Amino acid sequence: MIRRGCISGTRQEFGRRDFIKVGSLGFLGIHLSQALQLEAATGTRAEGKAKSCILVFLEGGPSQIDTWDPKANSAFRPISTNVAGIQISELLPSLAKRMDKLALIRSIRSFGDDHPQAMHYAATGHLHIPAMQFPSFGAIVAKELGPQKGMPPYVIVPRWERNRQYQDYFKSAFLGPDYDPLTIPDPAGKNFQVDDLTLPKSLAPAAVENRRAFLDVIDGYYRDSVKNVEHAKMDAFRQKAWEMILTPSVRAAFDLSKESDKTKDAYGRDTVGQSLLLARRLVEGGSRFVTAAGFHGNSWDTHSDNDKGHRDRLTPPLDRSVSALIDDLVDRGLYDSTIVVVMGEFGRTPHVNPNLGRDHWPICWSLALGGGGIKTGTVVGKSDERGAYCVERQVSLGDIFATVYKAMGIQWDKEYMTPVGRPIKIANSIKDATGEPIKELVG
Amino acid sequence: MIRIYAGLLLVTPFLGAATVDTPKLVSLRLLPEQRTLHGKKSSQQFLVLGRYSDKSERDLTGQARFTVTSPASARADEAGRVFAVGDGETALVATAGGLSARASLKVEGSGIDRPFSFPRDVVSIITRRGCNTSGCHGGIKGQAGFKLSTHGIHPKEDYKWIVEGGVFQVLTEEAGGQKKPRVDTKTPEQSLILQKATMGIPHGGGMRLQKGSEDYDAILAWARNGAPYGAEDKASNPKVARLEVFPNNVFLRAGEKQRLLVTAFYEDGRAEDFTHQVLYEPQSGVVSVSAGGIVEAKKPGEAGILVKAVGNLVRAGVGVLADPMPNYPQVSRNNFIDDEVFDKLKLFSIVPSDLSTDAEFVRRICLDLAGMAPPPGRVREFVASKDPRKREKLIETLLESPEYIDYWTFRFADLFRVAVFPVGINPKWTQSYYQWIRDSIAANKPYNQVALERIAAQGYSAPSRHYLPYFVIPPPQDGMGEQVRVFMGRRLDCAQCHDHPYEQWSQDQFWGMAAFFGSMFKLGSNAQGVVFDHPGGKEIAADIAGAKDYRVLHPRTKQEVVPELLDGRKIPYTENNFPRMELAKWMTSHPYFAEAAVNRIWSYFFGRGIVEPVDDYRSTNPPTHPQLLARLAKNFADSGYDLKKLMRVIAQSRTYQLSSRAKPSNEDDVVNYSHALPRALDAEILLDAISDVTGVPEIFSMQLPDAPDSGGQAPRGTRALQLKETDIYHSPFLDIYGRSNRFSVPERNAKPNLSQALHILAGTTYNDKLFAKGGRIDGWIERGTSNSDVVEELYLAAFSRTPKPQESAALVKLIEKNPERKEALRDLMWAVVSSREFAENH
Repeated sequence: MIRRGCISGTRQEFGRRDFIKVGSLGFLGIHLSQALQLEAATGTRAEGKAKSCILVFLEGGPSQIDTWDPKANSAFRPISTNVAGIQISELLPSLAKRMDKLALIRSIRSFGDDHPQAMHYAATGHLHIPAMQFPSFGAIVAKELGPQKGMPPYVIVPRWERNRQYQDYFKSAFLGPDYDPLTIPDPAGKNFQVDDLTLPKSLAPAAVENRRAFLDVIDGYYRDSVKNVEHAKMDAFRQKAWEMILTPSVRAAFDLSKESDKTKDAYGRDTVGQSLLLARRLVEGGSRFVTAAGFHGNSWDTHSDNDKGHRDRLTPPLDRSVSALIDDLVDRGLYDSTIVVVMGEFGRTPHVNPNLGRDHWPICWSLALGGGGIKTGTVVGKSDERGAYCVERQVSLGDIFATVYKAMGIQWDKEYMTPVGRPIKIANSIKDATGEPIKELVG
Repeated sequence: MIRIYAGLLLVTPFLGAATVDTPKLVSLRLLPEQRTLHGKKSSQQFLVLGRYSDKSERDLTGQARFTVTSPASARADEAGRVFAVGDGETALVATAGGLSARASLKVEGSGIDRPFSFPRDVVSIITRRGCNTSGCHGGIKGQAGFKLSTHGIHPKEDYKWIVEGGVFQVLTEEAGGQKKPRVDTKTPEQSLILQKATMGIPHGGGMRLQKGSEDYDAILAWARNGAPYGAEDKASNPKVARLEVFPNNVFLRAGEKQRLLVTAFYEDGRAEDFTHQVLYEPQSGVVSVSAGGIVEAKKPGEAGILVKAVGNLVRAGVGVLADPMPNYPQVSRNNFIDDEVFDKLKLFSIVPSDLSTDAEFVRRICLDLAGMAPPPGRVREFVASKDPRKREKLIETLLESPEYIDYWTFRFADLFRVAVFPVGINPKWTQSYYQWIRDSIAANKPYNQVALERIAAQGYSAPSRHYLPYFVIPPPQDGMGEQVRVFMGRRLDCAQCHDHPYEQWSQDQFWGMAAFFGSMFKLGSNAQGVVFDHPGGKEIAADIAGAKDYRVLHPRTKQEVVPELLDGRKIPYTENNFPRMELAKWMTSHPYFAEAAVNRIWSYFFGRGIVEPVDDYRSTNPPTHPQLLARLAKNFADSGYDLKKLMRVIAQSRTYQLSSRAKPSNEDDVVNYSHALPRALDAEILLDAISDVTGVPEIFSMQLPDAPDSGGQAPRGTRALQLKETDIYHSPFLDIYGRSNRFSVPERNAKPNLSQALHILAGTTYNDKLFAKGGRIDGWIERGTSNSDVVEELYLAAFSRTPKPQESAALVKLIEKNPERKEALRDLMWAVVSSREFAENH
């Protein structure tokens, strides 16, 4: 092993030199097709039906008994779905008609009693340890499947404008910035454009050519005389950015104006709806993992008046937008290759607090997933009569990750080594066991 | 040629002089010079060193002949290992190259078998055979259901797993799995531990013991004897207190060999030869080591060799030298930093780069001491000055500048995590904490005092009101782990759930340290709350949240943990006792403290620590320049932990002032400071620099996009690094360039990424500033500045240098090509602030 402090091992990062080569061609002439060839040569290719994943993240933590796992202690009734024998809350009427497209897990056990810890656990499958950083689920998928079609492999939409530490949990940690998510603003915003992907109106492509000509002169001297710079990786990113901005298909993937009003309405003209619509466009364009996090400003954290929050504020956009997403993916023939996971960072208490709210509950909760060849129209696991404890088939988030990995052809029992040599499971289950793909869903 | 350096300084007289004469053997010495062998079968390995006319020493053990003067007492083998035969005094004589050397020997109790000891007689075999390394059964959860303590640090537990069986569980002391003993005293040959190790039963770890080998027989005999633990009293079975390896630092040329001597010191003070009883683990392919401790140099480079035995670990460093470079240049030196750095470069035939130009230096030193590039006027003035002491003077000016206070307050606000959290913000808390840092920097408060105040803070003093997300006191283990990382440079955190896999930190030690932070509670409401430590032994009101129970429980044993320093000293909670203050005093006077501090400050000036990462000192992650680190630390402690003096000595060194332009012999070097390594500017500094160069200040607003105005802006003209509570200001630029979220240390991740690249090309920060009114571009147009003057001013502002004539000519030509001059100037400005020369400190 090459160690810091070794004169012989002056370069530690694997493959760095190759990267620098790409970079130094960088601004001065590598073309997208060449860059893509490099990707093809180096990226991991895996067999597996699923090619991408959309994580619909219900920030704050939905109440399991008011959504996927209706119980008598919910204020809401269970309703039948289009799958015989499966009932969900009356708050999700549209999704009930699409139950055949989803699998439900009703016995999720996770960790973290408060949002930071739970969010970290949901994003990475690991408990938060201050001295360590863990790569997120999305970054792992991005790394394992690799980029394609010039698209950023991992995107978060919308980004966290507040609580940036949550967003940091969704990053790549030691896997490196190649697998960090591209984070973009709220697509339902007034003047939404992916600001950094759209040249300002005042700047014609010809002007950009002028700028490049200036930059070639200015950086030429420095580039020639200063070598082996960590930051030189910037050249490669700059090249990639440049291609993204100028490649019509990539720009189009981010352009919501190409969607019809009808489609936009179906998804809903709010943050949740437009984020999911954009997620679909991105996946269609070639992104591997999109965290659609439309609930930043509309959190499921119903410590007071849980029922009103779920009924009026939270389930309507969830029911409408996820239904629209499923329909859209199916219509476009993308549902077979796209996994959709709908989850928060924990569930909510089976009992109601003095403010008529429900508090955090990681002990037993529910989530939904489907697409990408996963068996749907089924329920895994069972909670007790109040939705408080798992009574059958406890499932961990590591098992969920493993399930998605398997559907994507990723070896789920893989471990990464951190820079200090501590192994990290990519699917980490309870008590440091390796996550197991749910056999009922991915056979 | 082998050279062994004892003491602190590297002596390198022979390297520059590539003499034609072969150095002559002058004298011989035999190590150890005297030794007593205790008990039957005891032995001692010896080492023969020849001193040569060029003052070097080389290992001649392999060529020497050994004789014992009294064969009735001892016998020697060909390799220089001496075995006890009968009681008495005698001597060992080694001869080589016509010279000889003697060592005196004493043999005691040669007829007496030593009392059996499981740790020494069994665990040492397991350790030597590599069974209990952290990658194998010594891993956190063991391997394949069989757990051993790492390097045998807990022999009693190892005994339990072997003799009683069962499977280790992380979260409880209960054994899991089947209780099947791994040793069979009835049919000893059938013992699982022997069958597995000899591959009699398939074993993932492969063949570890040959049937019939000495080690195999020893374990077999132990099993036949009923697998005892042996006496546990100190007198008959003392524990190994520490290991020593000689030489602990050696330089070889490729192909040369060096024998190592390993000595164990027992807690009763007795020494015993362990050379043949330890595991040698080279950490790179630069060397190989035989099972008996003979190092062979393979190729130029540096390597650590870990030496492991029963719960102890020691490291030997080996440097394998390249061929000496003819005409290695004379490099002048400014202070002890240069001595350490340049000596090492010379040893490895790496030539340092030239001294930085004045232009390079002025930009670098301003960025590193004041967080900003110098304005054009300052650059011109500095470059034009003929004063031979102008660099020293500039350093002094900067150390006393207001910008120094801004910049280092910013650095420490990051490190100490001055954060605002969105729930129930009480900015007073944050602001008083920030102000405490600022005052400390402005007064150049001794750093040990700063640390003491932060570690022990309670009551109404400012640092006690820090980093409490949601106004919750952090769990004791998190609070402790952070303080130790920040102030001692160690990651004890790994030992939170299990014994540290690479160090001798046990889980018990971790929780002993965590217990110092167990008695913190908050008095008062969220808005007014103040941190206090529970007055041990006294009753306090039961309705104060968090004050009910200040005990910290060990996660595995569920027993109450008494605060205990890493050196084993216990500081229990008693009346009028404030253990956290005792901890703070201990931490700030510990040698780790000064080392960690200088290493961290060093990293701000060089882009990497002498130990890197700066908070991860381990024997497996040693400093690149141990003596340099030691001297810096001593210098710092002697100065009264004076941060400015430390920065001054760093900034004055030639090492710091080297150019970033590489030379052929040093361009691959990234750890030896042969040239300045360019590093990306941090988010805040880059943003301020863009504002300065464009002449358009940044406006920091708390308002989110599309949200109603939520409360104003920072005063106009506030620089990014002056923001007190950075996270309340919305700034996509700072976010994508990796400003700290101040939620945990390490502080930031400034790696280049795609978002940055997109932002440069199309983002608002760059483009808005180009189009803003009243900036530098408007000034040029108003004043009618010529294109070549524009280029020169811009280069001075952005790069602190004048353009080369060909650069200027090419750029002027590009400006003239565009019929719209203002547009051309914008393009020029964009290119300058987008360039790597601008975005890097070099």
